[in-house]
Amino acid sequence: MGFGFDEIHGPISGPPETDSNSFTALLELPPPQAVELLIKEDFPAKPMPPPIFPSNIALIDRASKFSIYASPDNSPDSTAILPASSSMKLDLVKQEPLESDSHPNSSSPAVSNQSSKSGKRKEREKKVKESNKKSKKVAANEASELSGEKLPYVHVRARRGQATDSHSLAERARREKINARMKLLQELVPGCNKISGTAMVLDEIINHVQALQRQVEFLSMRLAAVNPRIDFNLDAVFAAESGSSIDNSYLGMFDPSIWPEGQINGSRQQLYQQPLHFDGLHQPSWGREDDTSNFISPEDSLLSYDSPPNSASLQSSKLKMEL
Amino acid sequence: MKARMQNSSSSAALLKQEFLKKWINGLQTYTNTKKEMTILDRKNAIKLSADIAIASTRNFSTNWSRAVMADVSKNVDGSSKIVTEKILGRKETCIIKCSKNIMRKSRLLAHRRRAIRRTIGRTSVKAASAIAKELVKKRTRVLKRLVPGGKQMNEICLIKETLDYIASLQVQVDVMRNIANAADHQCLDSTERSLL
Repeated sequence: MGFGFDEIHGPISGPPETDSNSFTALLELPPPQAVELLIKEDFPAKPMPPPIFPSNIALIDRASKFSIYASPDNSPDSTAILPASSSMKLDLVKQEPLESDSHPNSSSPAVSNQSSKSGKRKEREKKVKESNKKSKKVAANEASELSGEKLPYVHVRARRGQATDSHSLAERARREKINARMKLLQELVPGCNKISGTAMVLDEIINHVQALQRQVEFLSMRLAAVNPRIDFNLDAVFAAESGSSIDNSYLGMFDPSIWPEGQINGSRQQLYQQPLHFDGLHQPSWGREDDTSNFISPEDSLLSYDSPPNSASLQSSKLKMEL
Repeated sequence: MKARMQNSSSSAALLKQEFLKKWINGLQTYTNTKKEMTILDRKNAIKLSADIAIASTRNFSTNWSRAVMADVSKNVDGSSKIVTEKILGRKETCIIKCSKNIMRKSRLLAHRRRAIRRTIGRTSVKAASAIAKELVKKRTRVLKRLVPGGKQMNEICLIKETLDYIASLQVQVDVMRNIANAADHQCLDSTERSLL
């Protein structure tokens, strides 16, 4: 079970880096209204996070002093790990400081020790500052504005006129998360930018996924229906086609400056090392009911051009297709 | 924005390369047996290799790729096992088995959670917001069915996974379409030549 979760914990690698980068970018956007969640239910099967922060223990001590929470809340079981792709700063999440905010009576005498203002403020919109002061006392490592610092947990700022009890705050944080990701999805799915409303956007997303899945089915059917060919020698074909048509086609797809041709050739030749025999390459029989069908046939037949004019026409047709 | 676009296009190109390599690798396992296959068998084999290839490009870092692999290894007959081994390598096939167990456990826990939630009362107020929520819930249910492995995910996870899944599907479709078009063009050209 351990190493499966190693993969979960590691950031999503490679190409989805762009997506996860934008995730973190988006998630860092509302740090002033940063998220504090108790997301026990999100990852039920996850192991407990190995690093236990010393502030955790200090927090527990202070919490027991204030006798605000029941003891089960203070156990490390109440912490959870946010999705791996989110900012690495938001590792550990606790809700206790917020719960303490809901008891202004207990907090104010404590806070008033620190500053003179706190005792006067009981309105909702000011609770955030109290919470900040309170958490300053309670937690060793945080600032009221969370933007640049690495924190073990994140605090929600209660906005004016909104409920500040823990449940609605958690709910709102969760909602913000979902909305941030929905925005990313809207960018990805074409035509979703103008639609407003979660239900419509989800509709579009569902349509898009279904369309893509159907396309995969059709394309695989199409490839299966390609006329069967005789077995080809992949390796020899690749070697013969230096600057092969496939490479050129993919150059058409990629940004040419980024992906030099030599690299493609080298990687392809490394991959295909199995020599097969060269059969009838020069007199291909395009018989319809030929039983010697080859799955590599679509690929091979692309590369079976040995006459320059044909390869030129293939390249041009491919490049046209990509444009 | 421009930098991000460039970034994403080059990484999409890398993905396409990787997918193509793995797909062809998987297809090569069929070189011996293809003479007896019907067209449906061929289509299934092509699709299977493509799915395994695109799922393996994620290196098990996403839920949906793990779910795809788990499904594939569930319906293990000889050929699919060979394909997975070829594409992934021997060591990683045991990772699939472990991840299957993980998914089973998370499925049980998810059932328990859902049962608890449902017992917490339902209101029948027909407010506009309630209707909207109902619509959204319906659609999330549909989406959960579509994305592989979606049944065990909560909303946040689901949206993230669909994001990744859509991008991967796009890559898969692009590569397959290019190859299919090229094959068709080549077929047409060659039949023209043979007629002449």
